[in-house]
Amino acid sequence: MLRFFFWRLAQLPLILGIIFCVTFTLAWWIPGNPLENPDRSVPPQIEQAILKQYNLHSPWAFARSYLGQVLGHGDFGPSLQYRDQTVNQIIRQGLPVSVLVGSGALVVALVVGLTVGMISALRPGSWLDLSSLALAVVGVSLPTFVTASVLMVVFAGTLQWFPVQGWGSWRHIILPAVTLGAMPGAYIARLIRLGLVEVMASDFIRTARAKGLSRRRTLVKHAMKVAFLPVLSFLGPAAAATLTGSFVVEKVFNIPGIGEHFVQAVRNKDQFLILGVVLVFSTLLVLLNLAVDLAYAWVDPRIELAG
Amino acid sequence: MQSMKISTVLQWTLFLFLTLSLNGCGDDTPTASENTPRNTSGDTADFVFVAAVPPNTLDPQKMSWNHDIRTAGCLFEPLLRYKLPQMTLEPAAAESWTVSEDQLTYTFQIRSEARWSNGDPLTAQDFITAWQRAMLPDFVADYVQLMFCIRGAEDFFNWRNEQLANFKPSDSAADAWREAQVQFKKMVGLRAPSAHTLVVELARPTPYFLELCAFATFMPNHTPSLKKHISFDTTSGLLKLPASYWTDPSMLVTNGPYALKRYRFKRDLLMEQNPHWWNKASMGNRSILQKIIEMPQTALLTYQNKEADWLPDIPSSLSLAADLVASGRSDVHTAPWAGTYFYTFNCKPRLADGSVNPMADPRVRRALSMGIDRKTLVQKITRMNQPQAKSFIPPNMIPGYESPKDAGVSFDPIAAKKLLAEAGYTDPTKLKGLSILFNTGGGHEPTAQTIKAMWKKHLGVSVYLQSMEVHAFRQQLKQQNYTIARASWIGDYRDPSTFLDKYHSNNGNNDSRWVNPSYDRLLAKAQQQTNPALRMKTLAEAEALLLQEQPIAPIYHYLTLHIFDANRVTGLHPNAWNFRRLEQVQVK
Repeated sequence: MLRFFFWRLAQLPLILGIIFCVTFTLAWWIPGNPLENPDRSVPPQIEQAILKQYNLHSPWAFARSYLGQVLGHGDFGPSLQYRDQTVNQIIRQGLPVSVLVGSGALVVALVVGLTVGMISALRPGSWLDLSSLALAVVGVSLPTFVTASVLMVVFAGTLQWFPVQGWGSWRHIILPAVTLGAMPGAYIARLIRLGLVEVMASDFIRTARAKGLSRRRTLVKHAMKVAFLPVLSFLGPAAAATLTGSFVVEKVFNIPGIGEHFVQAVRNKDQFLILGVVLVFSTLLVLLNLAVDLAYAWVDPRIELAG
Repeated sequence: MQSMKISTVLQWTLFLFLTLSLNGCGDDTPTASENTPRNTSGDTADFVFVAAVPPNTLDPQKMSWNHDIRTAGCLFEPLLRYKLPQMTLEPAAAESWTVSEDQLTYTFQIRSEARWSNGDPLTAQDFITAWQRAMLPDFVADYVQLMFCIRGAEDFFNWRNEQLANFKPSDSAADAWREAQVQFKKMVGLRAPSAHTLVVELARPTPYFLELCAFATFMPNHTPSLKKHISFDTTSGLLKLPASYWTDPSMLVTNGPYALKRYRFKRDLLMEQNPHWWNKASMGNRSILQKIIEMPQTALLTYQNKEADWLPDIPSSLSLAADLVASGRSDVHTAPWAGTYFYTFNCKPRLADGSVNPMADPRVRRALSMGIDRKTLVQKITRMNQPQAKSFIPPNMIPGYESPKDAGVSFDPIAAKKLLAEAGYTDPTKLKGLSILFNTGGGHEPTAQTIKAMWKKHLGVSVYLQSMEVHAFRQQLKQQNYTIARASWIGDYRDPSTFLDKYHSNNGNNDSRWVNPSYDRLLAKAQQQTNPALRMKTLAEAEALLLQEQPIAPIYHYLTLHIFDANRVTGLHPNAWNFRRLEQVQVK
C-alpha cells in the first residue's frame, strides 16, 4: 500500500511534464499576439520589444525561462492579460474561493445523490423512484447557466434569501454550490440507485436477508459499500472539476474563482495563466485520483493495490 | 412600495429569458438625505460604479483600454486636464505653459503645491521619468508612438533596442542602463532646468501636443519609488518592475485626486482621497469604489438594487442596450462616441490566393458601400439609432474640423448598379468569391447578415459570411487574408490625424492596404502646416480622398451607453472622448 502510494507520487512529475509539453505546444500555437490590443497594431520592432519583455519572442526562450522560474522559484510568471498580477497571485486569490464553492457543491452532490439514490433503490419502480429518476434526468440535462438563472431568480430575486452576486460571506456560497452540485448530485443518485438495485439481487444480500436482516439494514450496511464503488471512482475527477471552479457559475454569480481562467486565458492567449491553471488542475486531478484509489482499497478489501 | 415589488419580481422573471423588464425603476427618487455619505470602510464608497472587466494594468504608460484610462485619471494627474462639460484644456499639474514661436519647444511650470500621496513634491523629473519609461523597450506598450513626437524619442527607443539586442548575460545590466541614461540625456528633448520647470522639445510641430499631455501615457511616475522597485533581468539586461507594483497600495504612490486604497482582483478597486492633492476643495466625493462585474445583466441588477450609482460599460452592441434605450427610462443616457463602425475592403490588386481582386477597383467598393441601407440597419437591427456614417471621422467631434460633405456615400442602389456596370459587372452575379469576415462575440453577426441580405436584394451580389475568434480575425486582417471585414476605429486624441493616419500607406493599422500617394502627400503637407485652419483644410481634403475611394464603407458612428440617475448623480458629463473628472462627481 505504502509502496503503491509512493510509486504513484513519483509518477506525478512525469505526468506533469507530459501535460506541460502538450499544453505549452497548444498554447503557443493559439493564433494572435496576447499583448496586442485587438484594435491597434504597432510597428514590428515595437511589437518585438513588447514580446521580449515576457520572453515571448521565441518558443525556446519562453520555455527555458518559464521552466527556470517554475522549477527554481515556484513562480508561474506574470499574467499577460492582467499585467499587474502574477499567475501565483491569481491562483492564490482564486483557488480558495473555487475550493470553497466546490466543496460546498460536493457536499450538496453527495447528500442529495446518496439520499435520492437510496430512496429510489428501496422501492424500485415506485412513484418515489420514478419521480427521483425524473428529477435526476432534469438535473443531469439542465445546463448550469439555466440552473444558475433559475436559482438566482427565485432565491436571490423573488425571495431575497441570498445575495445576487459577489463574494464575502457564507450566504454567497449557497446558490453557486447548489448550482454546481446539481449535476454530479443527479449523477450520483443514478449511480447509487443502479448499483443498489443490482447488488440487492445478488447472492450475499439474499443470504443476509435469509438470515433475517431487514431490507433497509441490508441496504445501508452491506449493499451500500459495494454500490458506492462507482461513485467513488466518479468522485475523483468530479472533485477535481468542481474544486477548480466553473466558468459559467463564476460568471453568473460574479465569483472571483479560478474556473473562469480555464476559458478566458485561452481566449486571451494568456500563456502564463493557461500553463499555471492547467498545472495546478492536473496536480489536483492526479492527487485526487490517488486518493480515490486508496479509498477503494479501504472500502473494498478485495482490491489489491500493486506498485 | 407595492409597485416597486411587482416590478422587481418582473425584472427577475424576465431576466431568466435574458430580456429585462424595462419599466418602473428609473424614476425612483432617492430618499437618503444629502449629508449621509456611505461608509467607506466596508463594501461601499461615496461614489460606486460597475466596471465590466478588471483593470488590464494601472501602469499609465502601458494603458490602451478605456476602462484603465478612466482609473488612471483618478490616480494620476497629468500636466493638463479637460474641464467638463466644456472639454477645454485647463491647467492641472502644470500651472502654466509657454510655446515657442516655431511650436517646437513647450515649457511647463509645474505647480509648487502639487504633492504625491506620500507628501513628496511633484517635480519635472517625475514627468521625465515616466516619459522615459514609456519610450524604453523595457516597458514599451501600445501607445509609445504618441511619444515619438518628442525630439529624439524614436532614436532613443531604437538605440536602447539595439543595446538590449547586443546584451550578453555576462554584461552588467546596471552599466548598460547607466549608459542608456547618458544617451537619453543626449538624444531626447526633455529637460528639467529647475525642479518645477519642464522643457519639452518636439521633433516636429504637433498641434495636438497639449491634448497628448492630458493623455494617460503622459502622466507622471513617482521617481523615488520607481528607483526603489526597479531591478535588472541579468540575462536580458531589461529593467523590471514587480508585477504588483501598480496594484499594491503599499507600493503605489499617486499624484491625482485619489490614492489606491485596496484592489481585489476580479472583485473591486477602492480609491480614497489623496490627502496631499493640491485641489482637494474641488472634489465632489472622497472615495470611489469600482465593482467589477462582468455580466451586464448582473451589473444591471446590482444597479437596480441600489448598490451602484453608475453603469458606464454596457456595450452598445448588446440587445440589452437596445432594450434599455427603447424603454425610455430616464436613467438611460446615450452619448456620441468618437468612433466609427465600418466595413473594410481589401484593396490589394491580388487576393491572398493569387486571384485578381475585384475590390481593387474603387467603383466596386463605392457600389458595395452604396448598397448598405444604413437607416434600416440602425433602426431595425442594432436598434440603437446610431448616427449613420457618411464620413470616417464622426461629425462635430474635433474643434475646428469638419468632414467633407459630398465625398461620402449614402444608400443608392440605382447608382450602385450603374457603378458596378461601369466596372464591368453588368451581371452582378459575376462578382463572386466575396465574403464578410467578422469576429465572434462582439454582436457583429446580425449586422453582417443584414448587409449580406441588402447586397443580394439591392445589388444582386452574393457574399458569404465567415466568423472567427478575435485574435485569429486580427491575423487574417493583418495579412490581408480577407475580402471584406468588419472594422472599427476609436479616436485617441482630438485631432483628425488620430483617424486619418490609419490609412497612410505605411501605417500598420491600414488593414485595407489602400495605397494612395496623394493621400500620403496631403498628410505630410498637413504635418508641416502651422496655421491650424489651413492644416484642418488639408486634412479634410485627405478625408475627401479617402471617402471618394472608399477603401472602407463607414456604416455608423458609435454611441456609448450610461446608466445613472441624473437627479442623484451629477458631474459625470458623458462625452464623445470619454474625458472624465470622476473626482467632481457628486452623489446625493
